[in-house]
Amino acid sequence: MQTSKEAPEKMTTDQSISPERPDFISVKDFNFFYGKKQALHAINMDIPERQVTALIGPSGCGKSTLLRNFNRMNELIDGVHHEGDIRILGKSIYDKGIEVISLRRSIGMVFQKSNPFPKSIYENVVFALRISGTSKKSELDECVERSLRGAALWNEVKDRLHESALGLSGGQMQRLCIARAIANRPKVLLMDEPCSALDPIATVKVEELIRELKQQFTIVIVTHNMQQATRCSDKTAFFYLGKLVEYADTQKIFSNPSEKQTEDYITGRFG
Amino acid sequence: METARHILTSFEDALDNLRKDVLMMASLSSRSLENARKGLFDRDEDWCNTVIADDEEIDALEIQVDGEGMEIMLRFHPFASDLRNVIAAMKTSVNLERASDQSVGIARRARKLIALPLMPVTSRIEPIFNLASSVFNDSIKSYADNDIELARTIKGRDKELDELNREFADSITEMMPQNPDHIRGFLELIFIARCLERIGDQAKNIAEDIIYAVSVKDIRHSHAAR
Repeated sequence: MQTSKEAPEKMTTDQSISPERPDFISVKDFNFFYGKKQALHAINMDIPERQVTALIGPSGCGKSTLLRNFNRMNELIDGVHHEGDIRILGKSIYDKGIEVISLRRSIGMVFQKSNPFPKSIYENVVFALRISGTSKKSELDECVERSLRGAALWNEVKDRLHESALGLSGGQMQRLCIARAIANRPKVLLMDEPCSALDPIATVKVEELIRELKQQFTIVIVTHNMQQATRCSDKTAFFYLGKLVEYADTQKIFSNPSEKQTEDYITGRFG
Repeated sequence: METARHILTSFEDALDNLRKDVLMMASLSSRSLENARKGLFDRDEDWCNTVIADDEEIDALEIQVDGEGMEIMLRFHPFASDLRNVIAAMKTSVNLERASDQSVGIARRARKLIALPLMPVTSRIEPIFNLASSVFNDSIKSYADNDIELARTIKGRDKELDELNREFADSITEMMPQNPDHIRGFLELIFIARCLERIGDQAKNIAEDIIYAVSVKDIRHSHAAR
């Protein structure tokens, strides 16, 4: 985690690093407010390293709000405040020494509607590197190939890297956004309904990509698609009215949930 | 506590129809067993023929239940208790169909016995028949009422049925050397007892499946009744 005086931490992709931490992201007694309205109530959960954690629940339950708190994106909204803490690798993201911009650089984010910049494919991927001062062509080229391969897009675009990103299909644009998100080797990848605007084939390609990416990144995904949650995620958290109702292995949540509210939601008895 | 209905009425209706068809199958299977009893003990060939003829309807229902279950899984992707109930329904229909096949087996053997002179030893099979009927009907009731307490009694009673069958077969076998003219009839009775023992097995399967569907406890292949 970068402080104002330290260089940004680089994430290694070495598979032989220490076993996954079960509390890679730790949410402790977290309350969040939009002005006077409390959107999250006493959230406590540990998100394990290099696994996919799905956040599910009806609209307005707070799952996207929680997601946007992991990289402090919510602070861009006037009048918000929080209580409690969120820690990544044991360090609070709210520490006074934490530079918010650097935090956001270390956490990649992909949104529901893909948002490639009106630039070339190449420039989209290297945008963050250029902003941070990298200009050496070899480094930029390496980043582009690594990131596009990581996003399973390299073979489809390697011969047209300098063409506009806006000429890509919807699914390709979303994978480009994923490539852009992982270019800076973040620790965490946040995905807010990444497939909801995609056709079924593009969706399965992104889901397959998520399965591969979790070998390197800790992934948190908000999804309305419960079948997607069962296919893609290792753990699932069910939210309702700003509260975490149940959080467990995905297999348990969808086969034998402990809470009646969870059962009622996933079986379509309310929502 | 009553469970809320699904928001998607087509899903709710599909689950209801699946359950109704399984209960219809159960009712027909139970009736077939009862008709086989009448055919055997009343020496009435008409009842035996009824059992054999009615099996076609039960077979057709098994196919229908399978189709309905598959369609529910395809269209609605059920989770949790819904998924378990759909799978339990499909498995129960298989066990009901097999039980019905055993009733047909009893009816066919009973027809052969009817063609032979009356054998008083036939009455010895009545306790086995009573127990098999009771176990089978209770397994159906446990499915109908989601009654896992009743379901848990089935396994032990099926063991009792297995023991009765063994004792019966042994006792009939012992009678054979002294009554060589009745050997053909004795063999039919042994096969009928075996059919009843298998009906007990189907009932045990139904009970195990309903226990899993309701409590998510898999008691198959365990020695404990609970």
